[in-house]
Amino acid sequence: MASAPQIEVPDPTALVREDKVHRSVYTDPAIFALEMERIHGRAWLYLAHESEFKAAGDYVVRHLGTQAVILTRDKQGAIHGIFNRCSHRGATLCAFDRGSAPHGHQCPYHGWTFNADGSVRFVSHPRNYDGVLDPADQAIQSVRIESYRGFLFGNLAADAAPPLLDFMGHMKTSIDDLVDRSPTGKVECGPYVLRHYYRANWKMTFENLNDTIHPGFAHAASVVSARNVASALPASEQPVATLGMMLANGKPIQFFQDIDMVTAPGGHSYIGGHMGASYTPDAQNGYVQAMTAFHGAERTREILSIDRHLMLLYPSSFWHARYQTVRILRPVRHDLTEMIGFVFRLVGAPDETYANAVEYCTGANSAASPVIADDLEIYERCLLGNGFGDQQWIPMSRGLKETREVTNAFTRSPATSEAFIRNQFAAWSSYMAQA
Amino acid sequence: MSDPLSQEVDAFVHHEARLLDECRYAEWVDLFLPDARYWVPVSIEQRDPMDGPSHFHDDIQVLKARTHRLANPRAFGAEPSPRTAHIVSGVRVDRTMDDGALVVSSTQIMLEYRNRGGFEADQRMFGGRVTHLLRRMPEGLRIARKRVDLINAEGPFNAMAAPI
Repeated sequence: MASAPQIEVPDPTALVREDKVHRSVYTDPAIFALEMERIHGRAWLYLAHESEFKAAGDYVVRHLGTQAVILTRDKQGAIHGIFNRCSHRGATLCAFDRGSAPHGHQCPYHGWTFNADGSVRFVSHPRNYDGVLDPADQAIQSVRIESYRGFLFGNLAADAAPPLLDFMGHMKTSIDDLVDRSPTGKVECGPYVLRHYYRANWKMTFENLNDTIHPGFAHAASVVSARNVASALPASEQPVATLGMMLANGKPIQFFQDIDMVTAPGGHSYIGGHMGASYTPDAQNGYVQAMTAFHGAERTREILSIDRHLMLLYPSSFWHARYQTVRILRPVRHDLTEMIGFVFRLVGAPDETYANAVEYCTGANSAASPVIADDLEIYERCLLGNGFGDQQWIPMSRGLKETREVTNAFTRSPATSEAFIRNQFAAWSSYMAQA
Repeated sequence: MSDPLSQEVDAFVHHEARLLDECRYAEWVDLFLPDARYWVPVSIEQRDPMDGPSHFHDDIQVLKARTHRLANPRAFGAEPSPRTAHIVSGVRVDRTMDDGALVVSSTQIMLEYRNRGGFEADQRMFGGRVTHLLRRMPEGLRIARKRVDLINAEGPFNAMAAPI
C-alpha cells in the first residue's frame, strides 16, 4: 500500500445504512479502487497452502486484491511473498501461475534475478552501476505472510495488520473443521485448480453464496431437471452426487429458516449444512475407521458431527470443510471477477473421499455447472440493472428483526436472513471509513 | 479416409456435432452408453478425472439433467438458449483397443452465440482436441468416453451452457 493514489469518492460510509446499500458500490470504478486500497489492502487474504510448495524454488503466483504476488519456498523451507514485479523496469517476473525457480526469479527484460525473499541475486552488467546503485537496495518489496494450520494468508498492510488469528476470530473453527477431517492431521492441495469468471462486481459472490432464498428461484430449472432424471431412475440406482447437489436447491424455504446463519465481526459468516447425509464422506466406513484410529472414537464423532455449509471469510475466500473445497475470489475490476477453486486431499482418507470433494468442487465452481451458470447470469444482470433507473438503494433488510443469539464472538440468525450481507457491509464501512 | 471404418467414424463424429448444433439433445444423449463419461478437463495433462475438478465431468444422469435444463425457460444461464456451430476436422482413428473399442480424435471449433443485448461478447469460440472412445453396439457406434481438451483449458470461463 506504499503509494496508493488519492481517490476522490464522497464519504463511502454514506453509501451503507443498516438496512440498505447504495447501488454505486457495485458499479463505480472509483469505489472499487478505494476498496482495493482500504479493504483488500488491509484484510488477510488467503493465498496458498504449504503443500503446494514441495521443493525449494517451487512457486505460485496469486493476487492480493489486484496485485500479483509470487510465493516461493526457499532452501530452508520458508515460504516468502514478493510482488511479481522486477525492481528494475517493472516487468512481471513470472508468466505462469505456478512453477519451479530453484535458481531464483529472473526478469525476462535485462536478466535481473531475485531470491525467494526478493533480495537481489544478480544484476546484469554491474560495472555500470559502480558507485551509482547498490543492488542490495533493489530488493523486491515483500508482503507479510502468516500461516494457520498450513494455510498461508497475505496482508498488504504489513505491520499495521492485526494478527491473522484476530482477523479470523470465530471463523478459524471452519478451517479447523477442514483439517480435523483428515485421518492423519494432514491435508494436501490437489494439483489442479478450477476457474470461472463473471462480468460483475466481486461482492455479488459474497452476497449470493449463503443466500438461501435464491436457489428456489434462480436454480429452479436445474431442480426441475434433476428431479426429472431422478424420478426416472430404476429403484436400484441412486442419484449421483452432482444430481444431489442440484436437487438440494429445491428444499422448501422453511428448511433454511430452521437452520442457523452465523455472522462474526469482520464480515465473515457461515450457515448450517444442507447437502444431506447421502452426499457425505462420513458414510464411508474406511474413512471413519481411519479417523477413529487417529482421533479416537469420541473426537471423531465430534468432528464429523459438525455440519456447516460454506464459510465466507471476508473479503476473499470461501471454505467448504465437509467437501474440502476452498475458493479464492479475485477482484479484477469493478465489473470483472475471477473465482479460483482448490480441492484438498485428506491425507490417509480413502480415494472416495477425495472423489467426493472433486465432484463437489466441479459442481460448485465450474462455469459449466448448471447451478453456477445461473448464478453468473444473475450477477451480470444485476450489474446491468444497477446502471439505470431512479431507485438508487438496494434493500438488505430480510430477517432484520430475527436475530436468534448475540455473543461477543458471533451472532446467530435464521439462514434465510440477509444478516450476512448486513454484516459484510458493516465490515465494508469500517474498512472504508479509515483513510 | 477411403476405408469404410474411417468413413463411418468421420460420419459419426460429424453427426454428433450436428445434433448439438440443432439442439437435438435427447438424441445426443442417446449416443452415450449408460456408463459413459463426458469430460472437459482443466488441463491437458490431467490423466484421471478424479485427480482434480473439471469444467465438465458428467455421467449419463448429469448429461440428462444438463440437457433437460437447456430446454427450460427458467434456466437463466441459458436464457436465451445458446446457438452453436461446430466445425469438425481431422477425424482419425488413433487406435483400436483390445476389446475392439475405437479411440478417435478430431480437432473441433465451436462458435457459441447467446443474444444478451448485442456486441462482440455475445459470441464466443471454444476449440481444441476431442477424443472419443467409441464402441460398436447393435444399433451402431456409441460413445463410452468423450474428452474435450480445450486449448485454453486452464483459463477461467464465463458461464457455459452448451456442451462442446
